[in-house]
Amino acid sequence: MQFDDKVPIYYQIKKYLYKEIIIEHLNPGDKLPAVRQLAVDLTVNVNTIQRAISELVEEGIIVTQRGKGNFVTTDMEKLFALKRHVVEEQIEVMYNNLTALQVSPDEVLEYLTTYIGQRKEQDNG
Amino acid sequence: MDNLLVIDQLTYKRNMRVLLSDVSLTIPTGSIIGLLGDNGAGKTTLMRLIAGAATNYQGSIILDGEVDKTTIKGMVSFSEQLSGASNDARMGDLAKFYDSIYPEFSMTNFNLLAKNFDLNLKQKLSQLSKGMRRNFVISITLARRARLYLLDEPFDGIDSMKRKKIIENILTWMPDNASVIVSDHHVSDIANLLDQVIIIKDRTVVNQIAADKIREEYNQSIEEYYESFYKEENDND
Repeated sequence: MQFDDKVPIYYQIKKYLYKEIIIEHLNPGDKLPAVRQLAVDLTVNVNTIQRAISELVEEGIIVTQRGKGNFVTTDMEKLFALKRHVVEEQIEVMYNNLTALQVSPDEVLEYLTTYIGQRKEQDNG
Repeated sequence: MDNLLVIDQLTYKRNMRVLLSDVSLTIPTGSIIGLLGDNGAGKTTLMRLIAGAATNYQGSIILDGEVDKTTIKGMVSFSEQLSGASNDARMGDLAKFYDSIYPEFSMTNFNLLAKNFDLNLKQKLSQLSKGMRRNFVISITLARRARLYLLDEPFDGIDSMKRKKIIENILTWMPDNASVIVSDHHVSDIANLLDQVIIIKDRTVVNQIAADKIREEYNQSIEEYYESFYKEENDND
């Protein structure tokens, strides 16, 4: 995994785990690899992994079972909310960039619809 | 987190020269610390003192509550220990030697490390490339079950693929109750690995800070932050 040098590593690991869950590399109820294994795989230290996981536990995305390890929650409502949150973050960035260019909200929607149409054609062709 | 190592007002002089001046720092248990500084800033001297290579210093070095220098020596695994070995010695024989002098040396772990690094233990030190020699030193150092590992420039002259392997082995073999101090002057090699950085300059510690705090509060990479300490000096010259 390639890290951005200027962004806290624990934060980037949180994002990485969000993604693994959203794209269902990690399914609801799945056990996460051991903390040390994650540390070796991502070449970061154990405390950094531990901090990221602690925050996911606080957010209710990951559940710790004493003596058994860390598991992805089976609370589907939590997981839908996570996906919505991550998607909205991306949209927010785009929306802010476009409104900074004085594109109106209605135009944003228009541009987006046109773009999606073009992309669908491209990707299918 | 408990503090594993506490150094207070450490000053070390040799032949009328000050090699370390008023160094104070604390290292939490279970952490990986980057010791950063230019060549000659005092990194190796500090590691040598922690490892018990010299005893005629002022101030205190306390490791897990122990102050006795011989006791501390047995709890620290320092990557410099190979420096006295003969070039005619075979790696396998050297490993047996370390196994005989260090009670906490694990031959099993050493063999796993050596295999992971593809070392041919029948080879003599004189036959090794710089990179292979580094890998052997790391294997010897990590094969001891210590409380504190001191790795002095472990990535010097090592390409990025091999660097990753060394980092993986540090993470794999470091016991839970141990800490690691890694010195380096190419900060980017180890930036992701660190809990904290200690910046050493002009023979003293000028700062100790959490790695993610640098990124979070200063929006800087560790490299930029570290370089800012040395840049000031160049500007003033």
